[in-house]
Amino acid sequence: MNEYILKTNQLSKKYQDKMALNKVDLSIKKGSIYGFIGQNGAGKSTLIRLITGLAFPTDGSFELFGETNEREINEARKRIGTIIEGPALYPNMTAVQNLEAHRLLKGIPGKECVGKTLALVGLQNTGKKKAKNFSLGMKQRLGLAIALLGDPEFLILDEPINGLDPMGVVEIRELLKKLNQEYGITILISSHILSELHLLATHYGIIHHGELLEQLTAQELNEKGQHYLHIKVDNSDKCASVIESKLATNNFEVMPDGVIKLYEFVDVPGEVSQALTKEGLVIEQFMPMGEDLETYFTKRIGGVQHG
Amino acid sequence: MGNLLKSEWYKLTHDRSFWVLIFILIGFAFAYPLMLQSAVGVSGNDFYRGYVLSINTDIVRLFPAILAGFFISSEYSMGTMKSIASSGNSRIRLYFAKLMVFSIGCAIIMLILPIFMQGASVIFHGGSTMPDWSFYLKTIGLIALYAIAFASIMAFFATILTDSGKAIAFLILFIALANSLLEYIGAKISFLEPIISHSIFMTQPSILMIDQIVQWSGEDVLTYIGVPIITFIIFGILGSLLYRKKEIK
Repeated sequence: MNEYILKTNQLSKKYQDKMALNKVDLSIKKGSIYGFIGQNGAGKSTLIRLITGLAFPTDGSFELFGETNEREINEARKRIGTIIEGPALYPNMTAVQNLEAHRLLKGIPGKECVGKTLALVGLQNTGKKKAKNFSLGMKQRLGLAIALLGDPEFLILDEPINGLDPMGVVEIRELLKKLNQEYGITILISSHILSELHLLATHYGIIHHGELLEQLTAQELNEKGQHYLHIKVDNSDKCASVIESKLATNNFEVMPDGVIKLYEFVDVPGEVSQALTKEGLVIEQFMPMGEDLETYFTKRIGGVQHG
Repeated sequence: MGNLLKSEWYKLTHDRSFWVLIFILIGFAFAYPLMLQSAVGVSGNDFYRGYVLSINTDIVRLFPAILAGFFISSEYSMGTMKSIASSGNSRIRLYFAKLMVFSIGCAIIMLILPIFMQGASVIFHGGSTMPDWSFYLKTIGLIALYAIAFASIMAFFATILTDSGKAIAFLILFIALANSLLEYIGAKISFLEPIISHSIFMTQPSILMIDQIVQWSGEDVLTYIGVPIITFIIFGILGSLLYRKKEIK
């Protein structure tokens, strides 16, 4: 039995002069939740569009459910549920009607799956309300319901939690975990909300300027998580110069919100706090931290700014 | 294919623009005969030709352009075409399912005036306004046939344009101006003239005079039946090939 749901082989896509995807070798294991991370325009959506058959590769190939032939790959797409660049809804139809149109498209027998799927995403009581009058969160849920129709084995979700309120985010996260753990559905999920992805994904792929920089498991990410001192003072510029002059290191970062991440002296934080207070700086936050997905991603693609 | 046709039919019957067009045409079909004073004394084929078919040929033939915009192009702008194209069904089948249901929708729109307006005219102005059954049934058949031929052309352009507004504007202008444009081309390029003169654009107005063909020749059959079928097939194939290679944005 094939261990991988999806494997790409030097997959490339060129739009006029721009290489949107450059020789990407990505593999998604059956049963995993694959967090696909990248900035806007990094190539996430391009890869998803190639896999789902909305666009065609310029070079390279891919294997879907072990199928390599174009016709069989297309047939295998029947086993996939998708949300691509936002939920695809008919605005003048109700939730039930939207699902019914997609049920017929997918050739799923029996209408009972419509109510069951709507209940799964918490949209069972929307009645005659048309999709155009739904909140963004409700639209996302309806999009997810459409993707879940027909019990797919592989879910491809492009930004599925955009627009959801905090409770909605938690509910969708729990739902995706349940689908993965109880039903064994493999999930490819791209999201800008990296903190949320961190709570969900078992594997990560980092893409930048069309190139897959790295693939790693959640465990590997935790092991790689570099520790640092999180410092917030009343004057970050002065703090930076104090660290450089008094602690004789420039192994730190000044974040846009003024927080300084110092990657040395983690074992001797007292030395740092003493140096800062001695220079008259008021310490507002001071704690040792592990590196989260966001920090790791930012560093991996080349960092933000350096003090 | 059956599930694709069912899905498209479901969408057509839930398409607001389709129902708006139907209600407008049915409303007109009943209101216009009521207001007709000049029709008194005009009877039979001339009434049907002058008051029903002429409106259908000159004005109503533009209406399917609106349906093409909302039923085909809007699938791209709403993003629903992405879930259709990624559903694992063959693109050729997807296109033909859409085209077939759209063609039925166009035929329904084009047949409303000949059926309802003629029916209302009989009610309001008496049975004398009813044309010969032979003429009436021939026009009903030809209107439906020409509707599907035009639908095939419209579906092709709606697939290229992928924006409902642009598709509606372009198709209305194209259908409205095609006759003049083709006449001009035919006059300039002589070898195209026979093709142009037999095209559905040039022969559609002749449906009004179809009662004057007493005995159908082989050429008449080819012109009025063969050409619309060939047009439907050619543009259907062109559209499906275009859709097969199209990257969905």
